[in-house]
Amino acid sequence: MIVEFGHYALVLAFALSLVQSVVPLWGALAGDDRLMAVAPPVSVMTFVMVLLSFAVLTNAYLSADFSVLNVLENSHSAKPLLYKFTGVWGNHEGSMLLWVLILVFFGALVGFFGGNLPKDLRAATLSVQGWISTGFILFLLATSNPFARVVNPPLEGADLNPILQDIGLAIHPPLLYVGYVGFSITFSFAVAALILGRTDAAWARWVRPWTLLAWCFLTLGIAMGSYWAYYELGWGGWWFWDPVENASLMPWLAGTALLHSAIVMERREALKIWTVLLAIFTFSLSLLGTFLVRSGVLTSVHAFATDPARGVFILVLLCIFIGGSLALYAWRAPALKQGGLFAPISREGALVLNNLFLTSACAAVFVGTLYPLLLDAVTGEKISVGAPFFNLTFGPLMVPLLIAVPFGPVLSWKRGDLLAASQRLYAAFGLALLLTLFTFWLWGMDKVLAPLGVGLAVWVMAGAVAEILTRVKIVEIGPRRAFARLVGLPGSAWGTTLAHFGIGVTVLGVVTASAFQEERIETMRPGDVVELSGYQLTFDGAAPRRGPNFNEEVGHFTVRQGGAIVTRLDPSKRIYTARQMPTTEAAIYTTGFSQLYLSLGESRGDGAVDVRVYFKPLITLIWIGCVIMALGGGISIADRRLRVGAPKPSRKRPAGAPAAAE
Amino acid sequence: MVFWILIAVMTAAAALSVLVPLSRTRRSSDASSGAADEAVYRDQLKTIETELKRGLIEPEAAAAARTEIARRLLGAHEKHARESGGIAPGARLRFVQAMALFALPVGAVGLYLVFGAPDLPDAPLAARLDMPAQEQSVDVLVARVERHLAENPEDGQGWVVIAPVYLSLGRPQDSARAYAQAIRLLGPRQDWLTDMGEALTIASQGLVTAEARQAFEQAVEMDASAVKPRFFLALALGQEGRKAEAVKAWRDLLADAEGTEAWVGAARQELAALEAPAGASGAAGETAPPRGPSQEDITASQDMSAGDRQAMIRSMVTGLAERLASDGGTAAEWKQLMQAYIVLGERQSAETALRDARTAYAGSPEDLSSINDAARQLGLPGS
Amino acid sequence: MTRKQRRLTLIGAAGAVLAGALGLILFALNDQIVFFQSPTDIADNAIAPGQRIRLGGLVEDGSVVRSDNAQVSFRVTDMENAVPVTYKGILPDLFREGQGVVTEGIVGPDGVFVADSVLAKHDENYIPKEVAEALKDKGYWQGEEAGEKTSAN
Repeated sequence: MIVEFGHYALVLAFALSLVQSVVPLWGALAGDDRLMAVAPPVSVMTFVMVLLSFAVLTNAYLSADFSVLNVLENSHSAKPLLYKFTGVWGNHEGSMLLWVLILVFFGALVGFFGGNLPKDLRAATLSVQGWISTGFILFLLATSNPFARVVNPPLEGADLNPILQDIGLAIHPPLLYVGYVGFSITFSFAVAALILGRTDAAWARWVRPWTLLAWCFLTLGIAMGSYWAYYELGWGGWWFWDPVENASLMPWLAGTALLHSAIVMERREALKIWTVLLAIFTFSLSLLGTFLVRSGVLTSVHAFATDPARGVFILVLLCIFIGGSLALYAWRAPALKQGGLFAPISREGALVLNNLFLTSACAAVFVGTLYPLLLDAVTGEKISVGAPFFNLTFGPLMVPLLIAVPFGPVLSWKRGDLLAASQRLYAAFGLALLLTLFTFWLWGMDKVLAPLGVGLAVWVMAGAVAEILTRVKIVEIGPRRAFARLVGLPGSAWGTTLAHFGIGVTVLGVVTASAFQEERIETMRPGDVVELSGYQLTFDGAAPRRGPNFNEEVGHFTVRQGGAIVTRLDPSKRIYTARQMPTTEAAIYTTGFSQLYLSLGESRGDGAVDVRVYFKPLITLIWIGCVIMALGGGISIADRRLRVGAPKPSRKRPAGAPAAAE
Repeated sequence: MVFWILIAVMTAAAALSVLVPLSRTRRSSDASSGAADEAVYRDQLKTIETELKRGLIEPEAAAAARTEIARRLLGAHEKHARESGGIAPGARLRFVQAMALFALPVGAVGLYLVFGAPDLPDAPLAARLDMPAQEQSVDVLVARVERHLAENPEDGQGWVVIAPVYLSLGRPQDSARAYAQAIRLLGPRQDWLTDMGEALTIASQGLVTAEARQAFEQAVEMDASAVKPRFFLALALGQEGRKAEAVKAWRDLLADAEGTEAWVGAARQELAALEAPAGASGAAGETAPPRGPSQEDITASQDMSAGDRQAMIRSMVTGLAERLASDGGTAAEWKQLMQAYIVLGERQSAETALRDARTAYAGSPEDLSSINDAARQLGLPGS
Repeated sequence: MTRKQRRLTLIGAAGAVLAGALGLILFALNDQIVFFQSPTDIADNAIAPGQRIRLGGLVEDGSVVRSDNAQVSFRVTDMENAVPVTYKGILPDLFREGQGVVTEGIVGPDGVFVADSVLAKHDENYIPKEVAEALKDKGYWQGEEAGEKTSAN
């Protein structure tokens, strides 16, 4: 009975989405206050309904109700509780329900916190959001219903794919989805702006916090996914240019561009048409990404054949949303007034450059991801586009962008002075040069690119620090007073600095982990020792162990450095009983920012086992950098100025109070 | 009834979320477009002032920005003045109200009846396992014991109870493990050791593994007169090719028998096979009919205990599988093999056999389709 | 600078970046893509030694030989032809005889395929799509439903 409530709640959410799609927009176009006022409560109620159905599905998983087909196919009674919970979204139907939940959650957020928005914009935005949720709830109900039932269910389910039985599943998809789906709000804002014919500085101000929010989560989601793949797949790689990864990278690149162009629009009313287009593109790429992954198109175009209904439905939705919004754009955009002039060398100019490189890089990833599909569909020829393609295209596009990053914030608006700006970066440049030379000295000339990469990373990091220090005039007024000013800086300034610093950190991790990594593959017998990067790893033997729903063969290793025991590592090979599926569990030892990575291969019967050992210098910086970036975004959102705009004078008082206290 | 009442409550809540805002009579206090714009631009102006005071921007830049924002502010102000929020004419409002009152509930319930299954009760596992024992299938009972053992793995009696059940359900591996647990917790007993060995033997398709042999040997140690472990040990010797020892073991075993026991027939047969001249079986290979277990074998096996029977069938099936794999065979033989596996409850092996058969007959569509037909009848994944 | 000059500078810069990106993409597409081949393709149209390809098929039963130092050799077959493959490294968890596999590497002058990566997707029902199609073309692979659910009775 409870299950059926969840099902009905989902149907009700569909009906409410239909109302939300039509009534508020009608009100906005007709200037009717009462119809517009429907938007917030309906969007909140839709959220409540989807939340209810999500809770019901979760309950079915926790109580192992195998009369729900979705639970039967993806759960197992012996599964640890955490994975029963996370297993809710470890499958197609459940993850789509989570997707929709986040979609309507964002709608509800705008309904609830959108008090500072003009009512017509809010109503139209929520209507557009309603179109999206209508489409996707219908998709769920018609082709991927998570509440499909089974009469006379068996007593045991098929279990969750063991790869997914990991804490990573608890964190990665929700983060990624909040990022993906968060961009739906920007999309809705953009389409609403086109319908209402209003794009101005104020619009950019209202859109920016939502973009930032989605961007932060997407950043964290991608980083988490990368780390998960790194330790779970046992190959030691952290990025594979796999189409699924690219699908999340594309909206990130477009979203990063959007974040920057929205600043220009807010400050100078320039780049309006471009910003709106980017907002549409970003969510379109999110949609494309989600569904390339969800429908299995990525493995092959022919995966549509396995479930034609799903594939066609997805394709139709994609065409309606992407095609429709672009058509609307083509129709309305020429009517938008162009504003704000600026010189090529200026903050605006730098941000345009940033957008150019980011979108080009995004296009390169797009081509590399979709070209094989297209070629297969058209000529039937099968090719794979792998890491070499992306390294050759993405890399060269990122280098000039990274070189330019520190210049952006030190240039002034409208008309900048490159020379004056450079002077503020002398120290950063010097530091970068010094470290490049130091790396050369340390590693010799056989790796030319690596020291340059290190230099580039240091340049970005030091540039970010230099910018904020010159901002508070540390040289002129001395460190004590400068510190006080530093604390008083607005959140958005700190946000920029942190995000740019984070980029540098990530780049440093990428460069050192790829260029200076050491790897060993050996067949080891008990007692054998492998030497790597100053560590001695002794294989002490392997022993079987039994887990709740798997059996594993654990290898025991002792790691020594100069004779002293540093740590013990126990990588293993598991067999999950329900699916008879093997997985590899790598063992990782973190020292400083570097990691020793150990994974087991085939065991050879006579006690010997294949072992793969890596030493990856500074690899954790890759993910730490992403966290710093997201932190920067978070601090920016917290900036009071982004939230102001409430028309009521009574609200301005408390908002102004902290400013006075500064 | 309760179900439909709650459904009605949910529907009412949904409809109210549309109706309540519609019923407002006064103009909303929400921001109009111009007013919201004004607020943003005023704030931007204030920011410029703060930044200027802190020295974060140059005075000229601040002045330029101020003029620009002032221009926007003016525009927004004019727009604000022009705007006048309206209230719907009655017809439009009544239309939307009617939709919320009638179309929404009817549509939602209608759609639900298309997709949903309102009569199907929940079936959480715990509740299903708690039903009275006589109403339940063996599967449920086994699952119940398993849960109990998962929580109390030290309950030796529980393992003793479930071990033979596993064996009869065709889960010999689990059975062997259960016996091992029982022996660990309650100490070794001859019959448990024997049954564990038997389960292990069945699990490895009739082959007496080293582990199984150890169990049998331990059992004989505890009771030298026990027949069953000795039967299997003799079988093991034969399998290992230690012919002379095997013949002696069978003879000893038969010497102790009265001649009427169920296993005697099988033992004699084994003995005869061992004593038959080598190569005799290979020569007849070419024209022989499908060599599954013969009628006599099966009758003999009916006299044996369930475990012995299964072990025997298993050893014959293994033989057939090996022959088909190395020398090939007719489509009929493949079908027989698949069927045998299904009977033994070994779906996995049946599927492997099916795959192999398909590979073997890939060139001959006729045979392929007859194999596929057979597979379908056996409930194996179709083609 | 006049308004027009400013705009031209901007458009010029944008054009240069875009042209550069386009050039890179085209160059890389020409140079860095890897074609998928079946063992029969390799037997038929002798591939230039040294060209990177992806070789897909089934791991031939009984062909896997492991030697020390994590060296493995096996044969990839499409039921008509088979290509010997050598690989040093750790095989994916789902690498099994008789199962689908995709390897990437170079055909040596001796006709042995030297792989530097071996893929077998993390799904028990997975046969790489390219492999499935190549086998389907030859009639050795029946249906995707083979691994479908057996529940819902």
